[in-house]
Amino acid sequence: MTTDVPSSLGAVTVTRGRTGRGSGRRRYQGREVAWAYAFVAPAIILFAVMGVYTLFWGLQLSFVRWNGLTPTWIWVGVQNYLDLLWASPVFSPPVRAAATNTVWVMIAAPLLTVVISFPLALALNRTRRFVGLLRSVYFVPYITTGIAVYLAWQYVLEPNGAINTLLGALGLGSLAQPQGWLGNPDTALPTLIMIMVWSAVPVATLLYLTGLQTIDPALTEAAQIDGAGWWRVNLSVVWPLLRGITAVIVLLNLRDALQGFQIFLIMTDGGPGDHTNVLGLQTYRLAFQSELAPTLGLASALGWMLFVAALVVAVVNFRVTRER
Amino acid sequence: MAISAAPAATRPGTEPTPAPKRARRWPPRVVLARTIIALLLAGYAVVSLYPFLWMVSAAFKTQQEVVAGGHLIPRDPTLSTLVDTWNRLHFFDYFVNSLQVTVATTLGVVVIYSAASYAFAVLHFPGRVALYRLFVALLFVPGVVTLLPIVLLENRLAILGTHLGLVLPFINGTAPFAILLLTNAFRAIPAELRDSARVDGAGELRIFARVYLPLARPALVTIALLTAIPTWNEYLLTRVSLNDPATYTLPIALQALKSSQVVQYNSLMAGALIVVIPVVIGFLAAQRYFVNGLTGAIKG
Repeated sequence: MTTDVPSSLGAVTVTRGRTGRGSGRRRYQGREVAWAYAFVAPAIILFAVMGVYTLFWGLQLSFVRWNGLTPTWIWVGVQNYLDLLWASPVFSPPVRAAATNTVWVMIAAPLLTVVISFPLALALNRTRRFVGLLRSVYFVPYITTGIAVYLAWQYVLEPNGAINTLLGALGLGSLAQPQGWLGNPDTALPTLIMIMVWSAVPVATLLYLTGLQTIDPALTEAAQIDGAGWWRVNLSVVWPLLRGITAVIVLLNLRDALQGFQIFLIMTDGGPGDHTNVLGLQTYRLAFQSELAPTLGLASALGWMLFVAALVVAVVNFRVTRER
Repeated sequence: MAISAAPAATRPGTEPTPAPKRARRWPPRVVLARTIIALLLAGYAVVSLYPFLWMVSAAFKTQQEVVAGGHLIPRDPTLSTLVDTWNRLHFFDYFVNSLQVTVATTLGVVVIYSAASYAFAVLHFPGRVALYRLFVALLFVPGVVTLLPIVLLENRLAILGTHLGLVLPFINGTAPFAILLLTNAFRAIPAELRDSARVDGAGELRIFARVYLPLARPALVTIALLTAIPTWNEYLLTRVSLNDPATYTLPIALQALKSSQVVQYNSLMAGALIVVIPVVIGFLAAQRYFVNGLTGAIKG
């Protein structure tokens, strides 16, 4: 079944054997090598132009002071990095504030995603009815994530929008936000985190669901026979078995929290004040909203620091998934 | 006989025959548990759809009714908001622009990376492993790092602000994921097929096009969707590189609609609906592939 139906799911299991079959052949064959390079060439050429070039240019840019318009730039070495971290009284405070917000997102978004999607997957796994329909419905947030749905959220979160109206109708009017949920500095960041979680839950639920379906029912059954109730089975048997998947979900969300800023740009642009500014958005601002100020180098430096942080996350990701 | 049949039907996990299941009376605890589960699932379905319900609702309301606010079902549903947004705000043009960019990007991704993945998966050549690793490692480069250099580079190449200037970086940005997914899919195809095609005298190109591509169709559909959907919704590079309204894609048109006047949410939501509908239709059409492929891709 796994060999004659090359579904992409089945394909994944083959990945581990990295040399693949036919690796006993040591000598390259001229024709084959020529064909191989012909097949790979378009990808490499595109990457050389759009990837390598831009990456190295970005790195170089992080060591200079430049506003993008003057013909020459000034080499400042690591000064940009120092300025961002602590040296500059102008640039380091907003970076620090943005870092604090980013850390909050990095803690809350993965945690809430797991807390919501795990029970959801358990429930979805228990029911036989409407699974297809529910899966489509649950997936809608993921596939439409982008400006359209962010604007819809904005509309719902308005001062006299649907959320406030709903709270009033439920008799919870005291919880309503008269300035709108994005207008109040105290609720803006938590609200954005909730929307990020809302977008992330579909994939997480799907991953948990796949994981649940790989668990041997004999295991949960044995626990039940030993007298474990529903809670106990899920907490002591199922949850540990899905630890690898939890790790993947957490790390995917960590990466998004670290680098993603589209939702912040569209929905609040960092406001009110700077209460929803995050590092990605700060980078974007330094690069594209600084008018004539020579901050392109700073933007690049901040971007590269995010890159390094993402690499650390990636290494952890690799370690965790390899142990699985 | 009845004794031996009973445990088989009650055991969870093993597929019981459906007939006795229906006849059975469930104990109250189980009924309660099922009700809670059903409520939980239905509740989250509402949460999932909540902003869309309001998006659709506002798109069929007049401006006055939107301002009055408060209720989901339009009192006096009208198509005029949607029609007006489509016509007066030239959404047809933006729609065509979005479609062009999305189709070009998706085609480029499928063609370029299926070829490269074929080489990575089945052909032997010096640098294979290193190149493959390089491409996959690029998954971790944040978009914001390359955004600025891309704009500066395209400015120099004089393609900034053109659709080509969007398509090239979009294609390149999908490289890691596409190569990861497609290489896995091609590796899963039995080598015997390739060998027998060879014996029959087929060349490399023919084996690729006639044997591997058809067999990897689920993965190809998945990667096409995973390219098309984000491209359709793409906002950042589009925002910083497009200047001429004639080249605008739908997300930028929406943004312009928002900032051009006092926010008219009925019009804005009509525009949002126009952006979202094709994605939802595309997703529903290919859902089976998509869900499987996505799980596979992330697990791999």
